[in-house]
Amino acid sequence: MRKSLALTLVLAMPALAEPVVPQFQDQTATSGVVHSYEGDWQFMVGGGVAAFDCSGDSLPELFFAGGTAPAALYLNESKPGALSFRAQVAGLEETRVTGAWPLDIDSDGVMDLVVLRSGEDLVMRGLGQCRFERMNEAWGFEGRDLWSSAFAATWEKGADWPTLAVGTYIDRKEEAFPWGSCTENLLYRPKGQGFAEPLELQPSFCALSMLFTDWNLSGTPSLRVSNDREYYKGGTEQMWHVPPGEAPKLYGKEEGWKPLKIWGMGIASADVNGDLFPDYYLTSMADQKLQTLAEGPGKPVFKDVAFAMKATAHRPYTGGDERPSTGWHAEFQDVNDDGFVDLFVAKGNVEKMPDFAQNDPNNLLLGGEKGFTEAGDRAGVASMAMARGASVVDLDGDGRLDLVVANRHSGAELWRNKGLGIGGEALGHWLMLAPVQEGANRDAVGGWIEVRVGDRVQRRELTVGGGQGGGQIGWRHFGIGAEAAAEVRVIWPDGSEGPWENLAADSFYHLPKGGAAVKR
Amino acid sequence: MQRRSFLTGGVALAVLSLTSTAWADTRDEAAKRVLNNWYKLGLELVRHTATMTPPVASRALALMGIGAYEALVPEGRGLVSLAGQLNGLQTLPDRAPGQGYDTAVVMNGVLETLVQALFQNTGPTGQHATQVMTAKMAEQAAEGVAADVVAASRSAGVGLGRAILDWAATDGGAVIENQGFPKEWKPKGTPGEWLPTSKISLQQAPLLPNWGNNRPFAMPASLPCGIADPTPYSEEPGSQFHTEALQVYETSKTLTEEQTHIARFWADDAMLTWTPPGHWVAILMQVAEERGLDLSATVEALARMGIGQADAFIACWAAKYRFDTIRPVTYIQKVIDKAWVPILNTPPFPEYPSGHSVQSAAGATVLTALFGEDYAFDDHSPTPDGVPERSFASFWAAADEAGISRLYGGIHFMPAITEGQKLGRCVGQFAVDLKTRA
Repeated sequence: MRKSLALTLVLAMPALAEPVVPQFQDQTATSGVVHSYEGDWQFMVGGGVAAFDCSGDSLPELFFAGGTAPAALYLNESKPGALSFRAQVAGLEETRVTGAWPLDIDSDGVMDLVVLRSGEDLVMRGLGQCRFERMNEAWGFEGRDLWSSAFAATWEKGADWPTLAVGTYIDRKEEAFPWGSCTENLLYRPKGQGFAEPLELQPSFCALSMLFTDWNLSGTPSLRVSNDREYYKGGTEQMWHVPPGEAPKLYGKEEGWKPLKIWGMGIASADVNGDLFPDYYLTSMADQKLQTLAEGPGKPVFKDVAFAMKATAHRPYTGGDERPSTGWHAEFQDVNDDGFVDLFVAKGNVEKMPDFAQNDPNNLLLGGEKGFTEAGDRAGVASMAMARGASVVDLDGDGRLDLVVANRHSGAELWRNKGLGIGGEALGHWLMLAPVQEGANRDAVGGWIEVRVGDRVQRRELTVGGGQGGGQIGWRHFGIGAEAAAEVRVIWPDGSEGPWENLAADSFYHLPKGGAAVKR
Repeated sequence: MQRRSFLTGGVALAVLSLTSTAWADTRDEAAKRVLNNWYKLGLELVRHTATMTPPVASRALALMGIGAYEALVPEGRGLVSLAGQLNGLQTLPDRAPGQGYDTAVVMNGVLETLVQALFQNTGPTGQHATQVMTAKMAEQAAEGVAADVVAASRSAGVGLGRAILDWAATDGGAVIENQGFPKEWKPKGTPGEWLPTSKISLQQAPLLPNWGNNRPFAMPASLPCGIADPTPYSEEPGSQFHTEALQVYETSKTLTEEQTHIARFWADDAMLTWTPPGHWVAILMQVAEERGLDLSATVEALARMGIGQADAFIACWAAKYRFDTIRPVTYIQKVIDKAWVPILNTPPFPEYPSGHSVQSAAGATVLTALFGEDYAFDDHSPTPDGVPERSFASFWAAADEAGISRLYGGIHFMPAITEGQKLGRCVGQFAVDLKTRA
């Protein structure tokens, strides 16, 4: 399957043997974004950015966590080629914010926002025109006063209201002996048009990233939780069964789940090896992990292929600091549009840990048939700032994936993808797709998009969660290499399969359930 | 300085109603609280500082033990300084004649200084916890003590801590780069040599290959404790080496639940636990608490244990890199069963001798000398996987179990355990032989 596409691409794009390195232009200075994640101990983690459209122009706004500084929403006024943002008072200017994820909770077509804090969490309803109002009380959202640090959401089967998972970190009161003080992770299930009292997901092991994901294509997503081993005692990486209407239950050794103890900080997922099952990248300190399903869908047994795929990203590749790296937000996207997912990893020391690199450049690992190739420095995104959150997202509406990175103690950075390789080569073609369905779960969270070129299928799960401190909802980007068109279909959250449609490249399409694709 | 004169400095009015003896007892209790809190934090920082692999942790715990012990030496308790007994340690700072000092404040000064320096690589949480501990202990230690005594005592404690750090700066273990892993390493190509056992990038080189060259503490620098050569390497079925590998392999296939618990109980993995030297210090602290050891006996025991552990790692590492032998996982996957995986993570350094066996034997030697041959105890040390606590009839029973746990765990051949124990017993005796009482 992969071979045939590779043959096609080799013929069309002679540079495929070495992935084309896209040119990114740093437009931070002119972007209008001036924001950093501040604070000391209680804000050493988090610091993400959420990307979503709240103005109705299809361009993603950016919402940054601020730590001790107020969080901020930046209205996107970019034109193709020029990133431009303006700070907007949106009703979101809270302090102690650690992260945020967009989600249309009430399925009214206006994006809402879940705001995590070192303090009470908030659910904020979008009112349109990038204005938001607190809905904790109206929606029965308890928002416990904890150090919240991870988030994921799904619509459980048959539900017309989402289920939210909130991961929490250290007990802030345990200042002298914080180790072993991990507070409870919470599962907020629907109760009418609101949330029931949260279930505690015990044991909790200081989660820094969570993701609802259907790892074995069973039709029911499970909840992966990546935990920071620095603080738990007796902990491990976790995955929960979350059967609708039943109590969550941890996957156990008897099912094949193997304990893994890492400084888990971020989860990214994509089908990297072409087996159509999602693979998982787990950021950590020193070696990052790339897990593929090892024994088929019957057992949650994953093997770490990061070393073999050259994706360990374990120490800086440029800048001369050879100490081990610290990985945070990770995101699979195809930035050079060659049809192979690439991987961005935000890097940065926790604070001033001498055993780990202080000058720790972000990674841009370009995917290919034989694994990944580091290109962050050549692409121009190897910032040494103390990164936390990020989003690989088309900011200026030209169909190419740009990059925004949120940093601790220094300003956020924005890069525009110029749509060319560093040698002036053309990048591949692309599709921007937005599934939409009527009723609840308008953005089809929990569904899949498949893009077929020849007999090779790229399959992307539509998830909310993962990363570090933030995520995005909006256009879903696919690179298709030299092809002028590709076949596309949606597998909807209810399991129904949409028809294959042939879509011309380099365009934006709404993909309505039960209808034909609509070109924007 | 005699103990009574130690007490005659300017103590606070609030405690003048106490007799000198009662006040001294109170100050010893305060000093013990300081000692226990800093050790509790130190063990957590061992767990939470990437530099703190077991050899490095053993050095830190040795220096803490020496510091705590030497804090009491000038107090007329009949304790003999280790200066002049430990390699390279000639003198330690004197105290001002006629000045009163407070035990708890001195103890706090020395441990604060040592912990802050030895664990300076810890992360922001460790730093934050250390700051919080520093503030709390300074306040608690000084409670009820006159300001001039606090100032003099703090100065003495800090000065002692710095003197110990100055001495330690030249021992070869003060600077750890790249978490102890050489940046460049290539196998020699010799059959039976150690090869990397994981796909973790950092661990493609072996840990701390020069640690065996460090200056020992009580053990002579000539490393007089010998060890037999390891079994000659062979892939030939029926050879001694192959037979020993089969023992590891077959043991792994028939592990009982009890044996699995034993393997996990003693795993003591770096960055997940207090590490093996921390485990034995924790055992000592449990026993000290159980026996109600007074302050002098407690710090004496901590010094001996720390020194014994640190010397054990130096001797062990010297042997490991002299012999540079292959781990069971590498051999068994190559020769016997390519799919075999041990239940424990194989540590990233050569196999022979077993570090657990050497340092556990050293620990048992020290504890047996202090508390006797048949001292039964329960080990409440925490384990990362919640394995239940274990009970032992003696310290040697614990050391024997720690040794065999590495066979059950699939990471050592048997000779590394039996010969390692002999080495550890010999090394530990140097700590026992230190003169601590006049």
